[in-house]
Amino acid sequence: MWERTLQDLIRGLRANKADESKFIAKAIEEIRQEIKSDDMVLKSGAVLKLTYLDMMGYDMSWASFHVVEVMSSPKLHLKSVGYLGAIQSFDQDTDVLMLTTNLLKKDLTSSPADIALTLNGISHILTPDLARDLSPELIKMLTHSRPAIRKRAVLALYKLVKRYPEVSTQVVSRLKDKLEDPDAGVIAATVNVLCELTLHNPKDYLALAPPLFHLMTTSSNNWMLIKIIKLFGTLSPYEPRLVKKLQPPITELISTTPAISLLYECVHTCIIGGMLEGSSGDALARTCVSKLAAFIQDSDQNLKYIALLAMVKIVPTHPHLVAQYQDTILASVNDQDISIRMRALDLISAMVDETNLQNIVQQVLSHLVTDTSSSNVPSAAESLAQHTIPPIVKPSLPSPSASPAYRFTLSQRILQMCSQNTYENVTNFEWYLSVLVDLAHVANVDVGVQIRDQMVDVVGRVKLARRYAVKLMFALLSDDAMLRNAQDEGSCSEVLWAAAFICGEYCSELTDPQKLLPLILQPGISNLSPDIIAVYIQAATKIFGFYAAEVAQRWIDDDLHEVKAVVQMVIERVGPFVSSSHIEVQERAANTLQLFNFILADLNSYRPRSTGNPFDESSSSYANSDVISEPRFPKSLFIIQPLFSSYELNPVAQHAQESVPIPEGLDLDAWIVPPPADPLSLSEPGEKKARKKIKREKGKDGVSGSGNKGKKKQREENGKEHGYNGNGLVTLIPLESETETEEQRTERERRRAERLERQRDDPYYIMDKKPSKTVSPPHDVDLDSIPVVKLEGMPAFLGPVDSRLPSLRSTPFQYSPEPFYIDRVGEMPTGAAALTNSSPSSHHSTPTPGSRPGSIISRTASPAPVRLSSGLTASISSFPQYEVADEDGQPATPTPEPVKVQSKKKKAPGTVTGKKKRPKAVAAS
Amino acid sequence: MIHAVLIFNTSGIPRLTKFYTPVHLSVQTLVQKIFSLVYSRPAGLCNFLDAPELEPYLAQNEEGERWRVVYRSYATLYFVFVIDGAESELGILDLIQVFVESLDRAFENVCELDLVHHILAEIIQGGLVLETNVDEIDDSVQLAAKLRRESYASSNPLALGGGLAPRGSNLQTPLGWLTGKLTGVGAR
Repeated sequence: MWERTLQDLIRGLRANKADESKFIAKAIEEIRQEIKSDDMVLKSGAVLKLTYLDMMGYDMSWASFHVVEVMSSPKLHLKSVGYLGAIQSFDQDTDVLMLTTNLLKKDLTSSPADIALTLNGISHILTPDLARDLSPELIKMLTHSRPAIRKRAVLALYKLVKRYPEVSTQVVSRLKDKLEDPDAGVIAATVNVLCELTLHNPKDYLALAPPLFHLMTTSSNNWMLIKIIKLFGTLSPYEPRLVKKLQPPITELISTTPAISLLYECVHTCIIGGMLEGSSGDALARTCVSKLAAFIQDSDQNLKYIALLAMVKIVPTHPHLVAQYQDTILASVNDQDISIRMRALDLISAMVDETNLQNIVQQVLSHLVTDTSSSNVPSAAESLAQHTIPPIVKPSLPSPSASPAYRFTLSQRILQMCSQNTYENVTNFEWYLSVLVDLAHVANVDVGVQIRDQMVDVVGRVKLARRYAVKLMFALLSDDAMLRNAQDEGSCSEVLWAAAFICGEYCSELTDPQKLLPLILQPGISNLSPDIIAVYIQAATKIFGFYAAEVAQRWIDDDLHEVKAVVQMVIERVGPFVSSSHIEVQERAANTLQLFNFILADLNSYRPRSTGNPFDESSSSYANSDVISEPRFPKSLFIIQPLFSSYELNPVAQHAQESVPIPEGLDLDAWIVPPPADPLSLSEPGEKKARKKIKREKGKDGVSGSGNKGKKKQREENGKEHGYNGNGLVTLIPLESETETEEQRTERERRRAERLERQRDDPYYIMDKKPSKTVSPPHDVDLDSIPVVKLEGMPAFLGPVDSRLPSLRSTPFQYSPEPFYIDRVGEMPTGAAALTNSSPSSHHSTPTPGSRPGSIISRTASPAPVRLSSGLTASISSFPQYEVADEDGQPATPTPEPVKVQSKKKKAPGTVTGKKKRPKAVAAS
Repeated sequence: MIHAVLIFNTSGIPRLTKFYTPVHLSVQTLVQKIFSLVYSRPAGLCNFLDAPELEPYLAQNEEGERWRVVYRSYATLYFVFVIDGAESELGILDLIQVFVESLDRAFENVCELDLVHHILAEIIQGGLVLETNVDEIDDSVQLAAKLRRESYASSNPLALGGGLAPRGSNLQTPLGWLTGKLTGVGAR
């Protein structure tokens, strides 16, 4: 007999590198034979080979029974192979483990070598059941004469308690005894186990503090001291007196120990154990931070790493101490080691406050910038240098910044640092907006969505940043490269979504908004993803709306040509999107197109009225004279603007939705469409067939068709027919009006009960909670009383909905503004709140241009040209209503009803597009 | 606690993988991920492996503290320990050293293919540190090996030398031994 040993297997693997999987498949086939053999040597050899292959990733769980067989061998050298295999491959679900109870018990009473082997194995494979059964034996092992066994037994107790917590009280008292074991190794192991157990349940171990404290002050074993110190770090938050007691010895250790690992643990424990609080802790905190700072500056990278780890934990309590070392910490962000960078990033994100945010973000951002620019395009100076001197080939390792995962982390950190607690630390939002734009350009990873959301959020919350935002977004929209690369991975093209939205929403900040239109509708946008295109189209509509309203206000007849040209351009550019395969784009394009077609028609039919008073420009004249039926300008110019600007778009408070009161008379639990009377009678295959049959027969020859059937079948069908009607699916008028007999009724009931029984466990049926109600038919069954939603009832079905819809739709506007309170903290930078409150139209008012840069908190907002707001709204309100349907033949939009400034509190039907619900601005008029 | 001990060579072939805590993601993927990250790190960087790519693989405790990957490289071998917050980072670095020294000593005298496992079992049991003293570890390893040898000899009276496997006849430099011996019969 010729078997391969493990050594042969390895040799074979080496020889068959080219066809490894085939060789291994063959080897496993051999092992399958060998492992079944009665020869224990062969069997154990097979298990050993499997163990090796398991490490290489080849499953050996199928052999678990054979592993147990080898474990039971009386020969130590074979048994150890068995245990090795078990440790390597068994897990909690291995079923053969339940067979091992007696084997393990027996091995625990065997020779010391066997016991050691068994204890080691038990630490891996213990299941709750095994733990329960073996707990007496394991605890008994604590008193074994050999320290080596006691040590292993102590460690095995950790698994015992984890798997079978019922014994924990008993174990804790035994472990307490073991702290006084004559053998130092046993004590160390005990401390080790306690350290782990304490983490899970600190309060249970407070009683052990005195002996541990004694150990701490007497022992010189650094391994154990580290663990004790760690343990106290876990315990002391639960026992304030411990803090006082620990401070002196730990302070002493910090200043005396030569072991850096111990020093570090002391510092760490001081931080996490809350020993730095109060006046006594302050000096200690100073020491800790200065030690850590020394570590950060140390040339040993490992010390740097762990110092950063601990610093993160001290920042929340002592930010001012850490802040002293800000420069050192910032320098670590530039470390070439990504591990250190990650920790340094953690630390600086914890450190940011109002004063250092810009500095830190700029630094982090520069990582993204420099690395890309240097790797992609050499700067002019660099390429010059390359021509003059031979390029020096640096054996530089790839910079961590090149890794996409790291770049992603960096980008997210920037966003997170700035946005935390609703921009708590951002003082200059113009700066933040430009950071966002920069980030979109340099990130080169997929953070576009997050950047987009931030942009929209910032602009929504911070009114004074809007003007700058529009400027910035305008630049972004004109960035051809962005558009061109939109399809690339990591292009962050989603920011164009934000750009289009912001430019559209706040185009009032621009003097010539119509100049945006060619840009926003340029043919290249088809390169963007559909949801962005949809926003572009929407934005174009908004911009035109604003522009048209503005033109109308200062109308001179010469404008007609220009406006017409713009409208035509829009129609031409939007046209292709009507056939977009993306539903959102298609719908918006179609809507826009119709609106603009209508406007164009209106413009075409417009005849300048030279007779009118050309100087009557003041909008008030319109307000005064309702009698003037024809305004001087084409009426359609005002059709779009009210759709978008009637309500200010505000950030919605987090709990706004839940604080919306349920309107009186609205029962949210009531059915909008009454449910089918009996969901259970639905869709039984047999029934369907019967139904089809009936239909067909009816189609053929009407009444006579069913007459041909046997009595029983007829009955059946009739019975079900009504059930079906109840579902409102098909209307079938019974062919013969036949009253149900008692017999039929019981029969039907019986069948329903059967069906119910069948369907109870069927996950596809959602059973009514009270099935009896629907299931058992009413006693006095007659055809009329069967719960039926009449199919002729389509109108009846619509009835209730009709009456409800308007009330649902309008509810948001019926409330007083209180439920929609605006989160001021989030919405405005500090100091700007008063300004907003005082001027109701601040949405449109603009700061004086001169005072702008960096002055978003500037209070010098000028009463700027009132372009829109109340004056304009008033002028609209005075117009006679459009009869849209007359002009265009189709009702393009709901008729805009007069909107009066003071009527803002009421609902304004017709001004809501349905796309957006605008929480009403607090109208102070 | 120590959650895993891994040894692999510079080709990424695992020489020892021992998980003290079951991982839910594929062990092989994790090992390969750690290897590729560790392998790309030049000497002189710190011995802690922290990478955004690795984070999804490592468990997190309630406070958001993740497992940590500590590694050391010796010649052509990487020793990797995966630990949690209950272990001292610097302590583990020392422990790896202890492990390697114990291997060094043991392989002077014994040559079994599964010896690495047996030595590890004298240092770590169930994810907890059992012994940190190299002398003690060596003694236990020698004792256990002797007992296994005797057990082997008793059932194979004809075997020469009483070894479980033929002695490697290779005399190597202090670091070369590791490569040679941990790879069994030579590097693949």
